[in-house]
Formats: sequence, C-alpha cells, structure tokens
Amino acid sequence: MTSLLLRVKSKMSIFAHRKARGILDGEYGSVFRGRSLDFDDLRAYVPGDEVRDIDWKASARHGSPLIKRYVAVRRQTLMLVADTGRNMAAESRDGETKKDIAVMVLGVMGYLAHRHGDVVGLVCGDANGSRTLPAKAGEAHLERLLQEVDSSTGLGSGPSRLEEQLHHVAHTVKGRKLLFVVTDELAASPGLEQLLRRLRAQHEVLWLTIRDAELSGATHSPDAFSVADAAPLLGRIAASPAVATAYETATAERDAGRHAMLRRVGISEGHVANSHDVMTELFALLERHRRAG
Amino acid sequence: MELMYWWLLPVAAAAAACAGWFVFRRGAQGNARRRPVANADRLTSLPEYQAAVRRYRRWLAVAALAAVTLLVSAAVAAARPVNLATIRPEQHNRDIVLCLDASGSMSSADAAVVDVFAKLAAEFDGERIGLTIFDSSAVQVFPLTDDYSYVQEQLEMAKDAFNGEPGSSGFLDGTWNGRGSSLIGDGLASCVESFPATDGTAQDGTAAQDGAPRSRSVVLATDNFLSGDPIFTLDQAGVLAQERDVRVYALNPGDFDYGTAAGQPGALLRAAAEATGGAYYPLDSPDAVAGIVRDVQATEAAAIQGAPRAVVTDRPDVPLTAALLSGLVLAGATWRLRP
Repeated sequence: MTSLLLRVKSKMSIFAHRKARGILDGEYGSVFRGRSLDFDDLRAYVPGDEVRDIDWKASARHGSPLIKRYVAVRRQTLMLVADTGRNMAAESRDGETKKDIAVMVLGVMGYLAHRHGDVVGLVCGDANGSRTLPAKAGEAHLERLLQEVDSSTGLGSGPSRLEEQLHHVAHTVKGRKLLFVVTDELAASPGLEQLLRRLRAQHEVLWLTIRDAELSGATHSPDAFSVADAAPLLGRIAASPAVATAYETATAERDAGRHAMLRRVGISEGHVANSHDVMTELFALLERHRRAG
Repeated sequence: MELMYWWLLPVAAAAAACAGWFVFRRGAQGNARRRPVANADRLTSLPEYQAAVRRYRRWLAVAALAAVTLLVSAAVAAARPVNLATIRPEQHNRDIVLCLDASGSMSSADAAVVDVFAKLAAEFDGERIGLTIFDSSAVQVFPLTDDYSYVQEQLEMAKDAFNGEPGSSGFLDGTWNGRGSSLIGDGLASCVESFPATDGTAQDGTAAQDGAPRSRSVVLATDNFLSGDPIFTLDQAGVLAQERDVRVYALNPGDFDYGTAAGQPGALLRAAAEATGGAYYPLDSPDAVAGIVRDVQATEAAAIQGAPRAVVTDRPDVPLTAALLSGLVLAGATWRLRP
C-alpha cells in the first residue's frame, strides 16, 4: 500500500520551496494565539500555591500576590472531522475524486500538527454512524488515519450526513480541541447552525469545503449520476439555458447561505477544488483564521 | 379476420422481451460510464429542471408508446391478417351459338334475339358467342369469339338485316343455296358443328388452354316449319347435339300446335330441345325474347357454377397504417429526445 503520508509530505515540500520555509508551521502555531490556553496567565494567589510561582514583578505592580500559571508541555489536540459517506466518492469541481482531495487536506493539516508536536485524532463516518480514532502522536498514526479515510470512502459507503459526525463530536469529545472539518458543499440549515454554535463554544473550528462538480453550465460533463440515489442526471436538460441560469442562481444562494452561517458562528471557511490548490487554500484558511481571531 | 402466420406473434413477443431484457440489463450498468456527483439536489430540486424532466418523461412515454405500437402493428402485419371467405364463383366459361332461322316468318323474332344478345355482349366477360343463320343452307356469320365489339357490330348488322333496313339485305346472302327452305336439322347441325371438338384438340386450341370445361348452348330460333329435304333431320341434329354435349334452347315464335299430340312441329322441337338438356319456349311476341334469354342465361349460369372455394384476402391496411403512423410519431419523439 502506497503511503498516503508520503504523498502529503512531497506535496508540502514542493509548496515549502515556493513559500518561505516553515511559514506553514508558523501559521498552524498561530491558530491558538491570543487564547488564554496559549498564554501563561496570572491569577490571584490562594493558600496552597507554590511560592516560587508567584510573579513578584506583577504582584508589585498589582498590589496583591499573583500566581504565574502555565502549561508545562503545551500539547494541543487536532481533531480531524471527515465525511466518509459516498458523497466524498463523487467528483470534485476539477474532476478529481473528492476523497483524494480530502485525504490530501487532512494529511497536510495532520502533518503540520505532528510537526508542531500535537496529537491528531479522527472522527469519520456516514449517515449510518461515526467512528472515533483517538488522538495520538506519530507519523504511523497519522498514516493510519489517512488510510482509514481513504479505505472507508467509496460509492458503496452509506449516504453522507455530516451532522451525524458533528453530533458524535459534541457528545463524545471532551475538552477544548482544534476541530478541522472537511466536507463538501453543504447547504445551510438551522439545525446545522445550532450544532456548529454548540461546537464552536467548546472548540476551535476550521472548515474546509471541497467543491462539488458542476451540474450545469458550460463546464459540466453531460453524463453524470447522483451518488445519493444512483439516478442519472439528464445532461441535455441541465445544459438548457433556463435550467443553467436557475442553477447558477441557486448555487450562488447556497454558497452564500453557507458562508453566512459559518460567519455567524465564527468559523473560518476555506474552499478547495483540486489537490494542487490544497496548500495554497490551507495557507489562506489559516491566515484568514489568524486574522479573524 | 384471421392471422395466417399467427405463430409470428409469440415469436415477436419473445424477441421484444429478449431485447427489452438486454437493454434494461445494460441500463442497470449504465452508471459505470457516468461520473458520480454529489449533492445532486443542487440541480434536481430546481423547479426548472423538474419541469424539463416532466416534459422529457412525457416525450419518453410517447416514444415508448409509439415504439410498442410500431412493434405490435408490424408483428401483426407480418403475421398476415387475412379475410377468409367461401364463395361460389360465377364462371364465365360459356360458349353460346345463336342459331337463327332466317326465313321470312322469323325475322321479328330473330331481330329480338340479336338485339338482346347485342346488349348482353356488353356485359360478357369470358363468354364466347357465335352466330349462324340458316335457311336452306347455313351460313356462319362469325364463329365463337370473345371480341365483343366485333360481336356487337355484327349483331347490330344482323338486327338491321332482320328488320329489313335498306342496304342490309346482303347480310343474309348464301342462305338460299340449297333445296327447299328452313332446313332446321341442317341448321342445327351446322351450329353444333361450330363448337370446337371436345377431345381437347380443338382447332383454335382455346378450350385445351383454358383447361376448364366450357358449357355449350345453342339458342335456336325457329318455327320448325320444314319445307324441303334436309341432310340431317331435327332428331339427328338433336342426337348430334347430345353427343357434343350441347344444350339447345329453342324459341318458337310460331307455335301453332293444336292439342298435345306428338308429331306437330312445336312438339317435335320441344322434344328435340329437351332431349339435349335444354328447354323450349313458345314465343307469343318478340318482346318476350329478352326475358326468355335472361332466363336461359340464368339457367346456364346456375348449371355451371363452380365448386365452393375458399378465398383468402390479405388485409394489411390497418396494421400497416398504424405502423406508419406510430413510426412517424416515434421519429418525431426521437428527434425531441435526441441527446
């Protein structure tokens, strides 16, 4: 079996030659910047605290004893949330299988976390249920996560339902994590928004949307079938001007609805249409998140 | 309405079922060459798309209906729908020789006979007609022929001659060559002789070619007043007619027999005619000739009606019209559905 991680690393090395080396690591590290977890912080002294933890200078400025508090080993947990339903076995906008793009995105993100010394876990599944692969360190574990995503996604998988995985995360994942959600062009819905608001309250959330294949207009290919119900789509009808116009409007509305929903709950979103743009888009996403934070 | 090759229908149905099974089996694998796409509701939930799909389905239904109609009607047409009917065909293989006594006393009756036959000849189809006139000697005006325009022409001329029209007297030339007058036996014998031989080696060969036997009848118009010494007596001529299988229908405009005793002219003529299988008609006026001749014609026609025959008539018009129309509809629908 070819190593999926090797593919990810070679992609990253090509990117690293183009951009300043290490810039991605910096972008990843800054995801948590400005959050109280990231900082040593100060709190009022209570009896029982270590005397050597008292920050004397701050206490002098403040007028009462303050305790320096910091995490000895700052070890974050990156939780990859992936849809492995049959939606992801479909084609992306540029004709690749969306699963391959997802594996590449998850691999890059996981490898950044690995280099940063963080542990990486995975929640994946489809409408029939979700699986959790607990967060661990090491390239072998990361490879195993990617293989899990790669092998469990196919046209024979269950139908896609990301809410299922998000519910699973909300119910089972304790503590504050960095959630990295990879999915396709979902439609905004009140239920999903509420769920995301709930997750956002506990976790840091990054959202990457993999673009779906165009179903109408000039670039779409006429022979296609829906993975949801295996029903063929009528290409000639989809190509007719009236339908193409309506499709364009509806797709724009759908995208706008998703953007608005994610913006409302404070989640940064990135888009990727093929595996060549993964590095650029991910970099842009991290950058956007840093600015937003 | 029956189907000649009815077994074609199950064969066609089986072939259609096989083709349908093959197509639908391939249709089930059709997604193999299509690209999988997700979130198809982006397209399929559009009202415009759904309306277009409904239109597409309607045309598909029309095309399917037209294809089924085409298949069924073509199969039915191939199964050869026929009308089976049993008919008794009226045959037209009759030979009629008009045998007219040209003596002066007969002219009005002769004129009536040729007039009737001139009209009948217009309706003839396959019958042959000949004309022989006799007085002291017999003259064959024209032999048995189916050239009806010539027959009509000759019969018109005969009618003129019998009516004594000016310039037509030459028509009767040659009938006074012998001894005496009204040699009826000789005249009848001449008429009987004018039929081709019955052994299939006819002079003109038509009887042999036709194959079908032809009925033979002589319409003999005479008053049977013999004056002279004929070669054939009436009885001998009657026997000759029987040998040749010729029926003699005798018309007698001057039946002056008194009582029922044999030996009177009318009775002799009746005996001779009926001996051949024919009939005897005493004639009160020339106007009655038409009715009598039609009567004779009907008797002859009934006598020679053919055996009942099954007639098979192809009736492919309805299924072929249906096939044509459904083919046109199918072509139109296919054009609408072109990819």
